[in-house]
Amino acid sequence: MKTKTYILALFVPLWQFVAAQEITVPLRFDRYYDYAELVTAMKTLNRAYPQLTRLDMVGHSEEGREIWAMTVNNPKTGKELDKPGVYVDGNIHGNEIQAGEVCLYFLDYMLKNHGGNTKITAMVDKNAYYVIPVVNVDGRFHFFNSPNNPSTNRGLRIPRDDDRDGLFDEDFPDDLDGDGNICMMRKKDPFGNFRTDPLDPRLMIPVKPGEKGEWTLLGQEGIDNDGDGRINEDSEGYVDPNRNWGYNWAPDYVQRGSGNYPLEGVGLKAIAEYIMARPNIILAYAFHNNGGMFLRGPGTKDQGDFPPADIAVFDYLGKNAEKIVPGYRYLLSWKDLYSTYGDFGDFMDNIAGAYSFIGELYRTEDETFRSPDAEKKPEEDGFFMENVSRTKERLDFNDHVVHGELYKEWKPFNHPVYGEIEIGGWVKMSSRLPHPFMLPDLVHRNAAAVMFSCDQTPEIKMEVTEKTAVGKDLYRVRVRLHNSKAIPSLTYHAVQKGIHRQDILKVSGKNLRVVSGGKLIDPYFGKVQYKEHKPELQLLQVPGFGKVEFQFIVSGKGEMNLEYNSLKAGTKQLAVALK
Amino acid sequence: MIFLAAGLLWLPGWISITGQQNPSGYDSYLKPAEINTKLQDLNRRYSADTRLVKLAVSPGGSTLNILEISKGGKKNPAVLVVANMEGSYPLASMGALYLADLVLSQPETYNDLNWYILPCGNPDGAERYFSRPLYMDGRNQLPHNEDLDDQTDEDGYNDLNGDGFITQMRVKDPGGEWVVSEADPRIMRRADPSKGETGVYKMYSEGIDDDGDGSYNEDPPGGVDVSINFPHLFRPFSKTGGLWPGSTEETYQLMKYAYGHPEIAMTFAFGSSDFCISPPGSGRRGSADFDKIKIPERIAARFGADPDRTYTMKEIMEMVQPMLPQGMEVTESMISSFLGLGAMVNPMDADLAFYKELSDKYKAHLKDKKFTDERLNAEPDRDGSFELWAYYHLGLPSFTMNLFTLPKVKEEKKESPDITPEKIGAMSNEEFVALGQEKLDAFLKETGAPSQYNGAMMITMIESGRITPKQMEAMLKQLPPKKEPGELDPKSRAFLAFNDKELDGKGFVNWESYKHPALGEVEIGGTVPFAENTPPAQMIDSLLKIQVPYVTELAKNLPRLSILEAKTKELGGGVVRLEVWIRNENLLPFPTAMGERNQQPGPAILLVEGKDLEFLDGLPRTPVNKVGGKQNHKSEWLIRTDKPSEITIRLTSPNAWGDVKTVKTGS
Repeated sequence: MKTKTYILALFVPLWQFVAAQEITVPLRFDRYYDYAELVTAMKTLNRAYPQLTRLDMVGHSEEGREIWAMTVNNPKTGKELDKPGVYVDGNIHGNEIQAGEVCLYFLDYMLKNHGGNTKITAMVDKNAYYVIPVVNVDGRFHFFNSPNNPSTNRGLRIPRDDDRDGLFDEDFPDDLDGDGNICMMRKKDPFGNFRTDPLDPRLMIPVKPGEKGEWTLLGQEGIDNDGDGRINEDSEGYVDPNRNWGYNWAPDYVQRGSGNYPLEGVGLKAIAEYIMARPNIILAYAFHNNGGMFLRGPGTKDQGDFPPADIAVFDYLGKNAEKIVPGYRYLLSWKDLYSTYGDFGDFMDNIAGAYSFIGELYRTEDETFRSPDAEKKPEEDGFFMENVSRTKERLDFNDHVVHGELYKEWKPFNHPVYGEIEIGGWVKMSSRLPHPFMLPDLVHRNAAAVMFSCDQTPEIKMEVTEKTAVGKDLYRVRVRLHNSKAIPSLTYHAVQKGIHRQDILKVSGKNLRVVSGGKLIDPYFGKVQYKEHKPELQLLQVPGFGKVEFQFIVSGKGEMNLEYNSLKAGTKQLAVALK
Repeated sequence: MIFLAAGLLWLPGWISITGQQNPSGYDSYLKPAEINTKLQDLNRRYSADTRLVKLAVSPGGSTLNILEISKGGKKNPAVLVVANMEGSYPLASMGALYLADLVLSQPETYNDLNWYILPCGNPDGAERYFSRPLYMDGRNQLPHNEDLDDQTDEDGYNDLNGDGFITQMRVKDPGGEWVVSEADPRIMRRADPSKGETGVYKMYSEGIDDDGDGSYNEDPPGGVDVSINFPHLFRPFSKTGGLWPGSTEETYQLMKYAYGHPEIAMTFAFGSSDFCISPPGSGRRGSADFDKIKIPERIAARFGADPDRTYTMKEIMEMVQPMLPQGMEVTESMISSFLGLGAMVNPMDADLAFYKELSDKYKAHLKDKKFTDERLNAEPDRDGSFELWAYYHLGLPSFTMNLFTLPKVKEEKKESPDITPEKIGAMSNEEFVALGQEKLDAFLKETGAPSQYNGAMMITMIESGRITPKQMEAMLKQLPPKKEPGELDPKSRAFLAFNDKELDGKGFVNWESYKHPALGEVEIGGTVPFAENTPPAQMIDSLLKIQVPYVTELAKNLPRLSILEAKTKELGGGVVRLEVWIRNENLLPFPTAMGERNQQPGPAILLVEGKDLEFLDGLPRTPVNKVGGKQNHKSEWLIRTDKPSEITIRLTSPNAWGDVKTVKTGS
């Protein structure tokens, strides 16, 4: 039996009722938007800024929900594909909802400040932005609309037989007390392994040898729906949408949640196609919760690290992001966190040829209740579990800062199997999510971190630095391509692995012939790496904060056209008269 | 046209196939569209027992059809048969069609077994055999910019001499690396500078530098090699394998189909490799060994483990469990992913046992059919292939058959050597070390192993445990075969003999000079594309007749679960002990050892049903995760029932059949 009736009035915090209000621009960020509201918010933005935005329905999820992407591009400054592309998404894990709000805020902030704030105007005008606030639309829907704890409803709605009994997704947790949360169950038990924490009666600590037990912990709220003697062992999926991408994917026995094959998730497949149709994307941010991190790839050690010049770019952007969001750390995914196969970041770095960051939003450390004179911070958390003194501080935060909204007091319940038990603990909207009063700060700072990177997409200038007649109708022409920003015109990794073509510099002219041409290594001694074939067509990369120069020997006279064409850094044209 | 007589035989006979067709009418190669016509025809003819399923559309616009054969449309265990994923094995498609025909003409072969047959898994590639000029490139028609320049598919092959074939060009060049073989002037071999030889020729494929970039034929039309676009050991950043596994629809939809049909119990692929003869390759490096896991230092500290020693998976699981929050259970895959242990890359030993046994059966089958000519080995399995994926990911017995390799040229028998790779593979570490350096050095010299291999090194490798004798065997087998000076390699020898004898010399274009626009004086010649792997059409029928029927024999080995015995014992007070023995009647295990490792095919389920049963021990629904080949498996329950009643035991499995038995209690 699954409890389907929610006794709403009891425990739902007031801010969940804000939903009824009309959604207008500028959007509000002292609240969370459920899936439907978030789509409405995107449509509202689109209506308010029709010149700058476009909405695309990227595809459908497993349960048929629509996945929406918003493009922000100022047509007056050029076509989308002629500008560097910035991709931002969030909420690929269904429960990590504030990621959607960060994306929404990023859009709202850019749009409302365009034309006013000069820095933002320039930033909007230089790039094309592709934003998918909610990747796991089913997950977001169910996180809001079904009972959950802060970590449930993470995966895709692809039924899997987690407990290998031939039945699929047949034993979800159950909201026994109907409060919309999946909390914890405990039972008074003199033989239990836990006793009441003297610091706070809501907490339990393990008994030491010789001490008398008081509680047995019974796990998440639920019953044995399928009568197999286990509780809550086969809920949604589990296919982890951030382990199901096509680069360095590994099957489920190597890593739980991979799915049966890459891009098994139909929504993910649609997003992959959306991304591949936008080869201009050079920067990607994907938001998750939690921990306060900006992670870069690779996801596993065996891939080896990126070329040093790429790491320098990651470092430049990552170390500045750290400064923008206090307490957040810029880290290397496999090394500082754990190995992940088939994650989205690896896909973007290795298939799309982008620099990607995974933003892990929110630090529970920010739920503080501490005297300025406190001698030391609470101990660090364990590897898999929170430290007890930290939990105590978070309870104080709950009690005195948000007035009990995050923690449900233990209440008796008569369980069909366990008998008299108590249900209580952290509620759905706790632990991994900032309380709405903290949300405006979180969305702004994280969006600002993205904007710092957006400002660093390549800006290429092409100039002719020398034009010398070296013989009759024979000219030496030197061309410089200069990038004033940190991100190169394509990644070094893309060059090294041949992920996509490099930039092209093409020389043409009616009565001209390029006799020789190549990269100018040393302008003083005139050292050139000549390209033997087709010297009029050079393949190149313009480094970040740097330049690349070419020298051509051209015979003939008339107008010499120079055309620079980059997949990710736009196009430039220049003409010089040879006479 | 140089290639007249034999050429005609090779060209597809566009014979319309209508009406009653028996499997012996296979005398021409069929185009992908004709294969679909043939499938539609079979579907019409056997409408009650077949269904034609449109699997996918290739980038070139061709439809991939699966013919589903099932008695009256029932969901029985099934064999998934695919063919010509490579695109360059037209005979493979014919084999799959023949199989469909054969199965449908013998109702007993599909009485309670389904056959899902995809005769043309890569129609774009397959089409190329029927186009001119003829060249061998099985990739699909997805546009792809191989040379990463400003254009796509702009520098393909050019049939310069107009003979309809793309062969080779050789041109004298001071920087050449090739010389004409002393053994046969048709064959080119690399000069060996270590023997003081100077290269004479540069070799190119036939064509011009269409885009003027200095490279020849480096960006021909063609995108993804469908046959290496599967996820097991997929190679990223390759020019031909696709962007990611399943990046092309042929592959993606086939994977989706396979997982969507849990009744599939075995896969069979007609194509380049041959697992009927020899099992999936061993000896790849990097397989995760769950008995010897090292814990990286940064994690070891927090686990309280020693980073210098190895642990078993079980030890690590026990170490981690107390660190997890209450109610969270540690699993192998959790540890595996946390420590980044990676995927299996070599077949499990237990599975090699059935591959060996079935290989012996197949050889006996061929002997029975008097098909005993020694032939060249089939191609080794390729990373990213369908067949490796089916074994490693679906966890199913995966078999393949290469229907034609060149007959070997008979050699004078040499004395059988003391040491062979096979003998080494069967040795223990101690036996190997006991061989001693001297004997091993002599053996290595005899096999023509490169000079960096020596006996001392091999002994150290075995003693240090870095490699097992079994892996050493695999390694030795990968060494290029030894050649006497001036001798042709076995493949060239076999091909030239076949060309002269069976193809009337038309499988080889003799070198003839040609005035090349950029290279000047060149000679064009070489092996006609497909001449080595696609025999003349008149051979199709006999090749299929001998080899294909074995597939239906092979299917008889599928794991088949039944209830051998179900009995109760009254313990008093209405309590009975129920004991059920399940039997797997056949040779193949349920599931394979690999399937056990990756938990892929679903378990069989035992349902115990009856009125008012109270389960004191055991559950009414019990998964059965493993029953070895020809093995029995016991399950037990303790049940209380108030009055005499009947207990029904229902054994269900989507891919290993099932059974029902009833027992009485309280009589």
